[in-house]
Amino acid sequence: MGRPGFVLEVDERTPPLLIHEGDGFRLERLPLGSQVIYPPESLPGIVDLDGAIRRALLHPHGSDPLPRLLRRGMRLTIVFDDLSLPLPPMRTPDVRQRVIEQVLEMAATAGVDDVELIAANSLHRRMTPAELKRTVGERVFRAFHPGHLRNHDAEDPDDLAHLGTTAHGEDVEINRRAAESDLLIYVNITLTAMNGGSKSVTVGLASYASLRHHHNVHTLRHSRSFNDPPNSAMHHSYDRMADLIGGQVPVFTIETTLNNEPFPSALRFLTRREWEWNLTDQASYLAVKRSNELAGPKLRRRIWQATEAPYGVTGVHAGAPSLVHPHTLAAVHRQQLTEVSGQADVAIFGLPYICPYNVNSIMNPILVMSLGLGYFFNLYRGRPIVRQGGVVIFYHPVPHEFHPVHHPSYIDFYELLAETTDPVMLETKYEKQFATDPWYIHLYRTSYAYHGVHPFYMWYWGAHAMQHLSDVIFVGGNRSTTARLGFRAASSLADALELARDTVGADPAITYLHAPPMVLADVR
Amino acid sequence: MSGLRDELRLLRYGRDWRGRARVPRSARRWEPPETAEDFPTAWARGPVASALRAALQQGVLKPVVWSQTRPEVHGREYLEGVRGPTIFIANHSSHLDTPLVLGALPPRITKKLAVGAAADYFFDSRAIAAATTLLFNAFPVERRGSRRGRSLAAELVDDGWSLLLYPEGSRTADGWLSAFKLGAAQLCAMKRVPAVPIALRGTFAAMPRGRRWPQPGRPQVSVRIGRPLHLGKTETVPEFRTRLVRAVATLWAEEDLGWYRAMRAGADGTLALPTGSRSVLPTNDTSQPGPSPDASSWRRIWEATRSPSGDDPREVWTD
Repeated sequence: MGRPGFVLEVDERTPPLLIHEGDGFRLERLPLGSQVIYPPESLPGIVDLDGAIRRALLHPHGSDPLPRLLRRGMRLTIVFDDLSLPLPPMRTPDVRQRVIEQVLEMAATAGVDDVELIAANSLHRRMTPAELKRTVGERVFRAFHPGHLRNHDAEDPDDLAHLGTTAHGEDVEINRRAAESDLLIYVNITLTAMNGGSKSVTVGLASYASLRHHHNVHTLRHSRSFNDPPNSAMHHSYDRMADLIGGQVPVFTIETTLNNEPFPSALRFLTRREWEWNLTDQASYLAVKRSNELAGPKLRRRIWQATEAPYGVTGVHAGAPSLVHPHTLAAVHRQQLTEVSGQADVAIFGLPYICPYNVNSIMNPILVMSLGLGYFFNLYRGRPIVRQGGVVIFYHPVPHEFHPVHHPSYIDFYELLAETTDPVMLETKYEKQFATDPWYIHLYRTSYAYHGVHPFYMWYWGAHAMQHLSDVIFVGGNRSTTARLGFRAASSLADALELARDTVGADPAITYLHAPPMVLADVR
Repeated sequence: MSGLRDELRLLRYGRDWRGRARVPRSARRWEPPETAEDFPTAWARGPVASALRAALQQGVLKPVVWSQTRPEVHGREYLEGVRGPTIFIANHSSHLDTPLVLGALPPRITKKLAVGAAADYFFDSRAIAAATTLLFNAFPVERRGSRRGRSLAAELVDDGWSLLLYPEGSRTADGWLSAFKLGAAQLCAMKRVPAVPIALRGTFAAMPRGRRWPQPGRPQVSVRIGRPLHLGKTETVPEFRTRLVRAVATLWAEEDLGWYRAMRAGADGTLALPTGSRSVLPTNDTSQPGPSPDASSWRRIWEATRSPSGDDPREVWTD
């Protein structure tokens, strides 16, 4: 059994602590008295995973066993989370493959012929055939691709169904095949508390017309945090939409949760507490760091992107979405929740090389912002880790680089930031133009590009943090790109604290969130 | 290169030579429980490792130690009659002690000698444990009665191995003798094997705790080996331990009093024990050597860091 998460107070005994910075990492000596939030140690994965999946399918929450829901002649649609989950991609066989295979075995036994598999990629880029094969496995891929294993297309008017509007006037438009199925089975991986539940179908299979009701500045500024569904306006919107969908389409969901093992054994030092590093860990740190630095940016990226996480599965729950998700959230909290007392003046985050939108791709400056002020800032429950008017210090080089195939609209969006970085201004003035641009839509549908509106969503992701903070500083950040994003760059932590001094004084309370692995701060 | 140096410096910050950092105070309650696994050492007693060890000890370790210090070895002749498993016990104040004893003992003994090493010190890191095991044929000894596996000592004696043990349990903090634990005497009684006392002088001065290399200037050190002692028929284990302490103290005193006077003082019961901060055994004599246990710690350390032959330069010309 892993040890729980805890808050370290840096004293004179504390060795330098590991901080991620893009596709690198460093050791940093934090000021005495700083708080460091450590995630709980990894929980053991389920040994008999196939058995656990089978039990979940045969004894679901609030539903008949899956075999009883399957019948000859039915339209069955199996939808699964796309490549944005988990991070890093998990070692094969992916848990989605193992779930889908068992579902299909039951469907085959029941004599179901009309089966369609859809990746719930929403406005993300399409998954390549290789990525699809990696996710669902060889057998499923060979049996269904390309005719019946495909990506969701949020811009195909023939394959979208408008199911109605919620009481709040929110359009609910999702994938037509899914909406018109006799049974919709959703196979999910819940990596953080924001995933899964109502979000799965309402976001993964939605169109822009539907997404704009919750992916907007107002909603995100009232999602505090979006990793705490009861206090997230975004999740309230998802719930309303899910209720509407649930009234028309029978949904059977299978949610899985993972433990805290995102790195292979050669990188074990990344997940160990620094004072417990033995000589092997120290030698690995030195060897990996030096070779990483010698590798050069392209090779470095390729190596990191090839990293597969040896995640263990901590829970499999199936059944009615609203009844399954509380069990899933409990499992996530068991693995990630760490109690923290009080807010800090300065929060420090080390941003890693990967976020949901640069798998097999490049982390561009807008994604860096979204990872930092969106995902990391929102890794809290209760109150933000840093107080209102506080300062956040990120570690990331913020290089000026974009993937021209995956992120074409990001390149143009980056130019808009020269005019304004205000999310409301960007939303009102430019969102629609980008969202409806025919070229971006063409690239989204036929190439492997994120939707034209996606960079806006990334920017909104940080809207709450931008409103909350008085300053954002990137240690080691490229000066021109950080300036374009509206932030500041510092060459060292000491410089960053010096820059923050005007705002938070000379002796600020500092909290460093030691992640990855994932941790959710329960700030009291 | 400077980048690597800086990186190493950062990595080494707050860590000891074994790479271990102290646990931050706020993390103490989350320390992992001790694992019950013992580092395997049997491989080091096989023929290949033994041959490699003999070569390393005679070809590297001894020449290095002998080049950095000036060892004087006395009493090697007492070992001529020693056959079969024997427990060598010595006072312990420096990491130099083991290499010195191994260099002082004849190879016919060292090739069948295992050294007891603190499990919590030498066997916490696998790399250090492997190196210690290979070079010294070390086996883990628990000194604080933890939950780890039981000691290998008895098994090794059964297998015909002699042992080098430090009954004080740890290097002394001030260079003087501290209390002997019962384990070594108990082992002699249990297995009916002789104990050979050894007194080491000057090693504290040459390389005390905290130093990783002997002081410059080839400090003098001495290894005095005593006659093998056997447990008497009616002797109890604590009594045997007392005899062992006195034997080591007598050898210790030889450095100051000479062989005969030390032996006389020992026989008369007037020999004061070279105790450190804690009394080893009760004594009614105050004649010598060193400051009394009541002396302040700086005086004890001051005396202990005196070279056995004084600080005078070594004589080049002799009559």
